[in-house]
Amino acid sequence: MFELFCNVLLVVFLGYTYFTHVLEAKIPKSYLKNPNNLMPDVWPKLIIILLMICLIANIVKIILKNKNNKDFNLKTFGKNSWEFLKSKMFLGMVVLAAAAFVLEYLGFVVTAFLVLFFYGMLLGEKKIWRLLIVSVVLAFVLHLLFCGLLDVNLPRGEVPFLRNMALFLESLV
Amino acid sequence: MSFGEMFVSGLSAVFAGGQFLMVILAIVLGTIFGALPGVSATMAVALGLTFTYTMGPVPAIVFLTAIYCSSITGGSITAILFKIPGVPSSAPTTFDGYPMAQRGEAGKALGIALLASAVGGLFSAIVMFAMASPLAKAALAFGQGDLFAITFLGLSILSVLDMDHILTTIISGLIGLLLACIGQDPQAGVTRLTFGSRELMAGVDMIPVLIGLFAVTEVLKQTNAKKRLSAQDGVGGTNGKVSTKMPSLKEVWGVKWTLLRCSVVGTVIGILPGAGATIASFMCYTMENKLSKYPEKFGTGIIDGIAASEASNNAATGGAMVPLLCLGIPGGNAAAVMASALALKGVQMGPLLLTNQPEYLSATFITMIVTNILMVIVAMGIAKVFAQILAIPYFYLGPIIIMLAVIGSYSEGAAIGVFIMVLAGALGIAVKYMHLNSAAIVLGLVLGRMCEEHFSRAYVMNRANVFQALFGTPIAAIVMSACILMLLSPLYLPLLKKLTGKKAKAN
Repeated sequence: MFELFCNVLLVVFLGYTYFTHVLEAKIPKSYLKNPNNLMPDVWPKLIIILLMICLIANIVKIILKNKNNKDFNLKTFGKNSWEFLKSKMFLGMVVLAAAAFVLEYLGFVVTAFLVLFFYGMLLGEKKIWRLLIVSVVLAFVLHLLFCGLLDVNLPRGEVPFLRNMALFLESLV
Repeated sequence: MSFGEMFVSGLSAVFAGGQFLMVILAIVLGTIFGALPGVSATMAVALGLTFTYTMGPVPAIVFLTAIYCSSITGGSITAILFKIPGVPSSAPTTFDGYPMAQRGEAGKALGIALLASAVGGLFSAIVMFAMASPLAKAALAFGQGDLFAITFLGLSILSVLDMDHILTTIISGLIGLLLACIGQDPQAGVTRLTFGSRELMAGVDMIPVLIGLFAVTEVLKQTNAKKRLSAQDGVGGTNGKVSTKMPSLKEVWGVKWTLLRCSVVGTVIGILPGAGATIASFMCYTMENKLSKYPEKFGTGIIDGIAASEASNNAATGGAMVPLLCLGIPGGNAAAVMASALALKGVQMGPLLLTNQPEYLSATFITMIVTNILMVIVAMGIAKVFAQILAIPYFYLGPIIIMLAVIGSYSEGAAIGVFIMVLAGALGIAVKYMHLNSAAIVLGLVLGRMCEEHFSRAYVMNRANVFQALFGTPIAAIVMSACILMLLSPLYLPLLKKLTGKKAKAN
């Protein structure tokens, strides 16, 4: 049922995209002057149409395949969806999304510490103190290695204290 | 300069003074960069550039070429041990390398990967050294229609990537193509499918998508798994110690034709401007699957799959240097960084390079030969270090992989890269439940923009005549016919099988 739901959702989304977001700005007049130019909307529209045809064919295929499946109903789908929302995998996705949101504000060191700590807990580490120490050390090591040694561009954070801490760490190398 | 003079000039460039030690250092650095999840071959060359600011042009070329070649091989280490392709072209290596590692055969998988890399790399370097001049002349004659046909050939592979699930594979490929449309269109510069996001105007960066689809999805899956991957489970009870023993002579002999075919195809694909190591590895993996006597075993952990992927992607690096040096056209992101690095050192890339600065060309190809030989020994040692990482409990290793993924995604394009990585990770989970194909999504994303660019140029040049744009030249006509045959294969192959089956029964 999840597969069917995703396919239907994709068809609706693609339909909306086709009419509203394929072109988001006017085509320059100079470009329109040449009648031989390929218009910018042709390629994505062609892909969307092909994709919608394939998705509809897939929807029909899924329905036919599950014709006699007793679990193929909305009630089971609702139950499974609730199970998914309670799963560690979904919590992991939430941790990652939260990390993406706070990364630039808190900086790499703090974000790395938070991800290492909370994801470690999620994966089953029960010795919290050990996890806490390892997370702090790893966050510092990763920042030193990539930002200090390899000169990889990483965010230092917008909070002055955290920014100074990141700069201090980089100055150690 | 004659062939012999170029050879001697190249050897003196690599072995003069302390240059040989620099080559070894570059190989170590390149392999480590390539193996580090989130540090792509592009980043490896970019990072290597910082070491060359004080070097002369020839030592700089030697150093960067060694990093470029070894980073492609380094990518296979993490692809096998962690199912994280260090570089996009190592993605097909995960298909068979990771199942082998899970079975406790990580050593054998690494051994065949390194050997295949060396064979592919050496083959292409030697062929390219001999053929650089005539191939450059031929490549100059390529039109936009030919380039579109070659790129479209890469897309046509989708139809044979997973024949049992053809519809979902095509859907996956089309999703990849649509993702490639996001941002400004290549001709008019009009924004498309950004949904108002400024960050998406430059398009979807490939690296965060790849990292998300391959690395993040795997960690998310492990989060839910009842029995998680650990050193003991992961490498077959070896306590994280992976012996990088070479495969036996019998095993190597068994894949001799795979190595030869993929080295040839990889070299040819590499030399084509626009195509590169990623297309080569996907194409050769599929080709070997089709040619194999046991295609059902592909993806379950056999050395043929690893040999196909690694021989071809390393062969393509040799090929990719030809359009870069002889035409000034970079084949991909890493080659683009190489181009800017070489330009910084005063290398005038283009057809005149052979006449004006032949020592640069010879230094490049001899470095490639030396690097591909030394790489096997160096990568063995590095692989052993990386194998120790598996001894770390997964509740530490998983979050570390996530943070390396964050680093790789952020350094490519600010915070939006991390958001894309997270979305791609979630997409990877959806792909699993929807029975879609991640490899097809990646292939669509990699080739989408290239395909559209070449087609729109061919369309304009042929005055909006679609037929002429697609079949206008002999090369385009042959390649497009091959594409059509490939695309229609899911329709006629079952019919052919039925017919041959009936005939066999009748006999």
